[in-house]
Amino acid sequence: MFPHTDASILADDGDPVTFCSTCAFSQACLSSGMDKSALAELHVLVEHVGPLHAGDHVFREGDPFGAIAAVRAGTVKTYMTDADGREQVLGFHLPGEVIGLNAIHDDRYPCNAVALDTAMLCRFSFPRIALLATRLPNLQQHLFKLMSRDIGVASLFAGDHSADERMAAFLIGLSRRLALRGFSPRRFQLTMSRTDIANYLRQAPETVSRVLRRFERDGLLAIKQRDVEILDMPRLEALALTILRH
Amino acid sequence: MATPSPAFDPDLLRRYDRPGPRYTSYPTAPQFSTDFQSGELREMAAISNGDPIPRPLSIYVHVPFCASPCFYCGCNRVITRDKARGDAYLTRLYREIGMMSTLFDRDREVAQLHLGGGTPNFLAPDQIAEVVDVIRRHFSLSNSPFSRDGELECSIELDPRFVSPDDIRILAEAGFNRASLGVQDFDPVVQQAVNRIQSVEETLAIIEACRKHGLRSVNVDLIYGLPLQSPDGFERTLDITLAARPDRLAIYSYAHLPSLFRPQQRIRSEDLPSPAVKLGLLQRAIERLGEAGYVYIGMDHFALPEDDLAVAQARGGLHRNFMGYTTCADSDLIGLGVSAISHIGASFSQNPRDLPSWEHAIDEGRLPVWRGMRLDDDDLVRADVIQQLMCHGEIDIGVVERRHLIDFADYFGQALQRLQPLQHDGLVDVSATHIRATSRGRLLLRILASCFDRYLPSQPDAAPAQFSRTV
Repeated sequence: MFPHTDASILADDGDPVTFCSTCAFSQACLSSGMDKSALAELHVLVEHVGPLHAGDHVFREGDPFGAIAAVRAGTVKTYMTDADGREQVLGFHLPGEVIGLNAIHDDRYPCNAVALDTAMLCRFSFPRIALLATRLPNLQQHLFKLMSRDIGVASLFAGDHSADERMAAFLIGLSRRLALRGFSPRRFQLTMSRTDIANYLRQAPETVSRVLRRFERDGLLAIKQRDVEILDMPRLEALALTILRH
Repeated sequence: MATPSPAFDPDLLRRYDRPGPRYTSYPTAPQFSTDFQSGELREMAAISNGDPIPRPLSIYVHVPFCASPCFYCGCNRVITRDKARGDAYLTRLYREIGMMSTLFDRDREVAQLHLGGGTPNFLAPDQIAEVVDVIRRHFSLSNSPFSRDGELECSIELDPRFVSPDDIRILAEAGFNRASLGVQDFDPVVQQAVNRIQSVEETLAIIEACRKHGLRSVNVDLIYGLPLQSPDGFERTLDITLAARPDRLAIYSYAHLPSLFRPQQRIRSEDLPSPAVKLGLLQRAIERLGEAGYVYIGMDHFALPEDDLAVAQARGGLHRNFMGYTTCADSDLIGLGVSAISHIGASFSQNPRDLPSWEHAIDEGRLPVWRGMRLDDDDLVRADVIQQLMCHGEIDIGVVERRHLIDFADYFGQALQRLQPLQHDGLVDVSATHIRATSRGRLLLRILASCFDRYLPSQPDAAPAQFSRTV
């Protein structure tokens, strides 16, 4: 319920000079006062994909790489499968975030990407956006930023942290990312399953529930089915500090 | 939360008391569709496992057999004295338990287990203990008061005619901590007319045994409106029952619908009490229970103030599901056995109502889903509102608006319109912040709830004059 994951609500299609409200590139372009012709040039690269339904794949490991995609509505999970067939969740991508950046290196997607709910995406042909970036410094800078953020996120939970710290960092991370796109930082929906959260945080599913139940009892948050409401942001942020650093 | 005691108004009851949903679920069973099959149930179970804090589980086991037919019965049951049928039933039930258990993550704790029927004690006490044991092997079922979802509520419906005090000991050892005893009426004339001869002594002995073996709650069911029931006879039934002081009492209305329920064809309609006498029985029961200190819970249910149900209602923690009122927080309900209904996440599903179809599915290794439905957002809002009404006699408009992100007045415009005649009759108070059943309306909660039911035809509710035709 928070935010609405109904694709029809979020997928405001924009027009040649107005980007979708959740567009991954709109900030770069708007903040730098990109002129209308440049905006239009970027926009023709965009191919709207979706709606995808829960369980539909955006791409699979080994598929030839040609495009990056920005999530416009819904949530996309990226994951890898190890030799024993065990899944390892790499990340959850919310509206306004880009997937496929880690494929640039060897021309094949190194992971799978699957929709967790009804999802809409924008595909950008990578060769063409890269070419455009050579002429638009702001776009180039933005692409670099997106890439470095991707690397940073992936290593967040690698360290030796307590279950409480991991969960707090996960929730605060989600809250901040949603706030960036204009959603409520306090009330949101966990669109990913308990197993996915556990996998991502390197915990047992029971631990996810146990930690959340404790958080709830301590008044940090309230949780009803998939809806989370953060009640004590400062305390949760303090718990997350060792992982998020700020 | 102070809930007003019910006030008895014969004129209103006569006008509004008519057959209709009892809202043990919303939407009600007639909305279920055979498009919903076992694949859909699996999917809903997987989604329910995915919640960050999955709900606790409730398990209902239906035992369809009865040794003897009570003529008033409208339940789904099979009359037999052949104990071998119980064995055959259990063999399949255990397969169903096995299949069902694989759908749920093992750390999901069972908070409530209920055996209903039919007559659960058609099975021998050892068999019943075995059922609990099999469930314990397949699910996380804890008796520890320190378990995270609280103590397991383990209850059974008992026919006192077919159970001995020593059987109660075995059941208590198996983990049962609540029992519900069918009495209906102690008047021998009435018992004869409904084909249920049950002595006061054997009934009281069972209540006594339940207490002796530490069951924390005993419920007694009575029925008003049975053939040959009289004010004097029913008064004696109330005397005996109240002297035994059960923790909970249910006073059900007998609805004579012989075309729907075949056993009722054995009841002679000329033996039925007149509507005036019938309402008088209810009035007397409410007076007597009030004098004896019982608290009205809702629908047909009363409890002593110190009973868990009354305590839960006082602090706003009462819930209602297919097993009736319960203190269990929102849980996913697993129904096992013929005709049983499950409520997993935003779905309902029901097993076949006839034994052969249920047996056939299990013999083929399939989950025996006959029909069901997925609830959409609208169903969920209405289910929440109806639940609040049925459990606490009021709707907190602000809570509903925040929880479901709706403008109540806008969303429920039609329902509020349907409520107007009831408001006019003094059954309900409607303010900007609350919709609250008055003391006169508390006995007619389901009529209030039906105003929020999208699936009921709106016409009769919109025209108050129609109500007067109902008795």
